[in-house]
Amino acid sequence: MADGIQNKARGVVTIAGLLVLGLVLVMVAGMSQAAAASSKVICTVETDRAVLPAGESQDGVLKVTLDAPPVPAGTRRPGVNLALVLDQSGSMNGTKMEQAKAAAVEALNRLGRQDVFSVVVYDTNVHTIVPAQSAGYVDRIIRTIENIQAGGNTALFGGVSQGAAEIRKHLENDFIHRIVLLSDGLANVGPRMPEDLGRLGAALFKENIAVTTVGVGTDYNEDLMARLAQNSDGNTYFVESGVDLPRICAAELGDVLNVVATQVNVTITLPDDVTPVKVIGREGRIMGQRIELFMNQLYGGQEKYALVEVALPAAREGDQLKIAQAEVHYQDPFNNQPEVSRGTSHVSFSHDPVQVKQSANRDVVREYQLNLKALAQEKAIELSDEGRQPEAVMTLKESADKLKQVGRLYEDSKLIKEAEAVADQADQIEEKGMSKKSRKILRTQSYQQKNQQVSQ
Amino acid sequence: MAAGMTQKRSIFLFWVLILVPALFMSGAAYRLLSHEQDRISRSAREALMERAAAISETIHMTVDTVKHNLIQSLMAIDPGMLNPTLLDWEKTNPLVRNVFIFEPKEALLYPEKGMAATPEQQQFIARFDALFSGRMTFDHLERDGGREPPRGMAAGRTAANVRQRDARRQLVTLSRADRSPAARIGAPAQMETLESATSPEQGVTSGWLPWFSENRLHVLVWVQSQATSQVYGLEVELVTLLSRLVVDFPAMEDAGSAIVLTDGSGSVIHQSGQLKISPEIRPLSQVAVSRLLPHWHMAIYMDEDRPGGARGFFYLSLILVGIFMAAILSGGILLTRMTLANMKDARQKTSFVSSVSHELKTPLTSIRMSAELLLSGRVSDEKKKDRYLSVIVSESERLTRLINNVLDFGKLEQGRKQYRLAPVVVDRFLTELIEAHRVRITALGLKILTRIEPGDFRIRTDRDALEQVALNLVDNVLKYAGTGDFIKFVLKRQDRAVLLTICDDGPGIPKALQEKVFDKFFRVDSSLTATQPGSGLGLSISRRILRDLGGDLYLETGKETGCCFTARIIDHDTDNDSGGGR
Repeated sequence: MADGIQNKARGVVTIAGLLVLGLVLVMVAGMSQAAAASSKVICTVETDRAVLPAGESQDGVLKVTLDAPPVPAGTRRPGVNLALVLDQSGSMNGTKMEQAKAAAVEALNRLGRQDVFSVVVYDTNVHTIVPAQSAGYVDRIIRTIENIQAGGNTALFGGVSQGAAEIRKHLENDFIHRIVLLSDGLANVGPRMPEDLGRLGAALFKENIAVTTVGVGTDYNEDLMARLAQNSDGNTYFVESGVDLPRICAAELGDVLNVVATQVNVTITLPDDVTPVKVIGREGRIMGQRIELFMNQLYGGQEKYALVEVALPAAREGDQLKIAQAEVHYQDPFNNQPEVSRGTSHVSFSHDPVQVKQSANRDVVREYQLNLKALAQEKAIELSDEGRQPEAVMTLKESADKLKQVGRLYEDSKLIKEAEAVADQADQIEEKGMSKKSRKILRTQSYQQKNQQVSQ
Repeated sequence: MAAGMTQKRSIFLFWVLILVPALFMSGAAYRLLSHEQDRISRSAREALMERAAAISETIHMTVDTVKHNLIQSLMAIDPGMLNPTLLDWEKTNPLVRNVFIFEPKEALLYPEKGMAATPEQQQFIARFDALFSGRMTFDHLERDGGREPPRGMAAGRTAANVRQRDARRQLVTLSRADRSPAARIGAPAQMETLESATSPEQGVTSGWLPWFSENRLHVLVWVQSQATSQVYGLEVELVTLLSRLVVDFPAMEDAGSAIVLTDGSGSVIHQSGQLKISPEIRPLSQVAVSRLLPHWHMAIYMDEDRPGGARGFFYLSLILVGIFMAAILSGGILLTRMTLANMKDARQKTSFVSSVSHELKTPLTSIRMSAELLLSGRVSDEKKKDRYLSVIVSESERLTRLINNVLDFGKLEQGRKQYRLAPVVVDRFLTELIEAHRVRITALGLKILTRIEPGDFRIRTDRDALEQVALNLVDNVLKYAGTGDFIKFVLKRQDRAVLLTICDDGPGIPKALQEKVFDKFFRVDSSLTATQPGSGLGLSISRRILRDLGGDLYLETGKETGCCFTARIIDHDTDNDSGGGR
């Protein structure tokens, strides 16, 4: 009996021991998995509401979020291949030129020996003053930069083309490729339509070259600069005076030096009864039940997302639906291996309005509204360009009202704040008309929102 | 008089001898330079044209290679993998703007009408609607010269050489208006050129189709398999092509010229060279870039008139010739002036010698006559004896003054005159001077007026020099204003200087000559001066002496009759001595 008990007890201990061992093993495995996962881009798919009203067909918003991990500590960051394309036309003379030079030096100082740096300047003609070379030759490069003189026209297309040519010298190597274009004027030599430069951006995107555009002053063409950045998936900045240039350059380099994924290709697959309506903010390709989106680079610790409007079929109470599956293919720049990350999203249906309301995903709602605001800002620019200023103001005001309404509904202070900012913009335009500056602010903000640009 | 004529004639001859060859030379130089400039301009223009032609050639070769490669790649696609391969190209190839698959009898298979995925694809379908709706076939507008078989490298090179010659031949001067882009604006979607080729062994037709839509060039590369009659291909991303092409443009630092690539509407695609181009400026000449890119031109511009431009040589040489001519002319002018000055000098010296001789002779005659009379012993009257003796004394004094003047003049001219500064009480000096010459003055019936203003007249200067100046002035009055009523001496103190003014109410000096009287050897030419002996040195020497001592001598102007000379005598007693007199 006692033996039996003892045996039993021993058995329990053994079982407990095994259990503990098992737990430890699972935990270790889990931790290692977590460690592995933390260095990968996390792809999540969310809907604006997890529970949808049953019995009716409706629209929903999908948010595919790519959460880039921070740059892993202790790893060698991938080399950066940076081409700085500087406008040296006559209008840059003075402070702007001095600050642009300071910005160039700032950029150079942040790069290391393993990076490649080149400087192209353009006026009527294009000159490569620093051909692509290791960023380690600091003194020599700085001397050359200091000698830049302003004067002449603005051959922006040629400048970017030459910058791209410098980048291409190291295109085969494993670099993060980036052109930083700085201009304060209208392109007046060569192709100058925003569409043309947009197409150049798209072509460069295919070569994994991103173009970041920095507009200085109020005389540059913000459409062109935003389009070029958008189509190549770079950042865009508006700097009213030259004084901010070094700071912007530092922020930009902060992004570039933190790239954790390149050649990002997002594929969203929808089930047969869910129809894609449109992609909000980004340019995506809808092909039947598949939606494709491309991004050039993801920056460590930053989040980028895509918003898709979909049409959902009517469903019965209690139904579960796998609404979307997303797949992210990208290149890991640290080991140059292709990586895949997946995410799925499910929704359920209910007749209970409270349950539906409570299931709202505030984050998705907020970003959706902010992107709608970005589109409204673009619409306002378009209307104002056509001379329909009252309508432009109306569009902005409607957008502000909508933001405020949604913000109140979900008690989202960020939305309410944003609503006030947009209302201010609308008032200002109503009062003083669409100034060059407000047009630039609208264009730049709109793009920065659509692109989830963090550095501003 | 005759000598003057001869001199004038020789100067005239001299100028003729200088001017005629100089003008002839400059004329010849001008002609020569114009010719040389024309030659240089022509060769510069030709060099620029050659460069433009060479760039065009490179562009054509590049585009031709692109065309060849694209068609080859399209043909090489496995028919089973057509769709995914093309889609992959569209996504990843920068040279590909759009891809399409078209079934002539049916419809566009990709991108599907109404189901276009992106705005870009919708525009693509709209752009090429004439083709995809079947209103035009891909090869129906064939040109005679457009048909050429796919060729190997060797064939390609020969063709390129032929084309190079063609390009040279095409290099003609055209005005921009000749190309009338307006015609194309009227008909937006019109096929301009069509190149297509058939490869019989493969049963595949292919082509490069430039297409104008909204006055912009688009290029479609297509392949048609004759077995299935399906047409597929791609729209070339011209922006990429352009972006690659412009990078290979040569850098031109020349500010006076430019090579410019223009598209069909005449707008600049790329520019090499610093010259500012505006639509009003016509290109010197232009050449069509490539038949693969219709209406694209390579234009050359040159501003020949800008400094440092092509005509720089001409202007520079002209300036040099000008400087040369100016040197010759100014040399001539200098020589003439020197000759004239020498002649004047010679004249003045001659008159100086004669007047000085006269001056010397007059007192000498008086002295000699008086001395002879005294010597003859026939003068018994003591009074008369005294008078003769005083004549001898005064005339020899006069002689001494004259000789002093001449000696001083020599010293002053050579800058060797020494001044001995010593304290002088000017008012006492003046009183003594007046007393010494009272007899001479009163003898002419002149009243002596003296006004000495209150002040300190003890100064430091050279007494002898001062006496010479005052004597010259008094002598002048006696010589030329003896007909007047008075001679007036005014003395006053002004800061560091003492002003001694000696006035008369004689006939005065004509206004035009008032400054000339201070020139050496100058004498006012009038009946009055003719009767009086004089060297024309007195005033000149006096002014020179006073200026050497830091002061000045001037004539008070604005008087109708009479004249007043004021001597400004500087006191050298102060420490801040201006150092005038050494």
